[in-house]
Amino acid sequence: MKKILYFLLLFAFGLSSCEKDDICDGNTPTTPRLIITFYDITNPSIRKSVTRLKVIGEGQPEGVVFNKNSIDETRYLTSSDSIAIPLKTDADTATFEFILNSGSANATLTNTDKIKLNYTRQDAYVSRACGFKTIYRLDTQTPFEKTDSGNDGIWLQQIQVQNPNIEFENETHVKIYF
Amino acid sequence: MSKYIFSIVLLCSVFWIQAQEIQTDTVTKKMSSEKLKVTSEKTVLATTTDSIPVKTDRYGLRVGVDLYKLTRGFYDKGYKGVEFIGDFRLTKKYYLAAELGIEDKTTDDDRLNSTATGTYVKGGFDYNTYENWLDMENLITVGLRGGLSTFSQELNSYKIYNSTPYWGDNPTVTGGEKYTGLTAAWAEVALGLKAQVFNNVFVGFGFQLKLLIANKKPDGFDNLYIPGFNRTYNGSFGVGFNYTVSYFIPIYKKKVLPEIIETPKK
Repeated sequence: MKKILYFLLLFAFGLSSCEKDDICDGNTPTTPRLIITFYDITNPSIRKSVTRLKVIGEGQPEGVVFNKNSIDETRYLTSSDSIAIPLKTDADTATFEFILNSGSANATLTNTDKIKLNYTRQDAYVSRACGFKTIYRLDTQTPFEKTDSGNDGIWLQQIQVQNPNIEFENETHVKIYF
Repeated sequence: MSKYIFSIVLLCSVFWIQAQEIQTDTVTKKMSSEKLKVTSEKTVLATTTDSIPVKTDRYGLRVGVDLYKLTRGFYDKGYKGVEFIGDFRLTKKYYLAAELGIEDKTTDDDRLNSTATGTYVKGGFDYNTYENWLDMENLITVGLRGGLSTFSQELNSYKIYNSTPYWGDNPTVTGGEKYTGLTAAWAEVALGLKAQVFNNVFVGFGFQLKLLIANKKPDGFDNLYIPGFNRTYNGSFGVGFNYTVSYFIPIYKKKVLPEIIETPKK
């Protein structure tokens, strides 16, 4: 009888150590975002920070969140040299408005450009807890289409695909020179 | 008849131990019941010592079915399965044991819904650790098994995990891919209890701790449930449970050597 008790204990320990795979770990690489890095057009090897950049997806009421901790408009603004934007998991194109100097006091500084990204999608298995993720591949023919939105000239002067396979977030996929 | 009553007591005593784990204030209750048990055993002894019986061990084949798997289909819509069990007594303590089963299980996780269908076979031995009184034939066994399963998996639906759901919530995607020709092999430690409740009819239950040895996973998916092995975890660990009813078919008898010879061995 004692033996059975011991084994029951072992059984219980075994169960407890195995239940953790029911929660998707935040560090697990799941659906990646598109990583864009900004460079100086006059000195292409140097990274350049944008100023008050706001990125809004077409048809979305709010911009892409860049500062999770802010509560006001600055939540959607960034002044860094790289951004991560989410693509659609259920469509092969995603269109974004890139607004430089968004909400600036000097309205002439504000410049809006539109980029449409074309890609193919593939669903890949992650784990029991996380389910599947979507990985993307930018179209080889026309990975992006940029248009001026608002007749203020194009500030995204040159766009270059660095890595068309969007699978992880630790590498740059697209380089933008301005 | 009294020996079957004892068998039932044996079966129940396991539940008493489990109950004791939860409630600590039932110790006195358990003590008294144990005393009762001892006295009943003594009376059995007293009535049979009049004529010294020649103790014989019966050898044969026991076949049965797992009621847990069989009845689970009634209350679990995602499950259909049956397991047949069998063992053959080799020596006084050792039994050759095998299980054969078929399962159809739909696993519904938060983000995945998949169905595994397949058959499995397990083979090995049981060692009876229980010293029986007189001609009783109860078993408390520790055994080892090797298991093999061939199965297929169907991915019914899945959800895409997106940590930044900017474009709205991700809808559930209907899969429909079927992955066939999958196999898995494992080893397990089986703990079991079987008590004779009627003539040649045994009721028992068992726990199994399983260790996955080989697991052929499909491309782009995982084996979330393996028939016979049950749910898989991150590692190679698994558990199982069964509740069996079996019938013993006696084939031959062996006389047990007088106990005078057996005692110095201890």
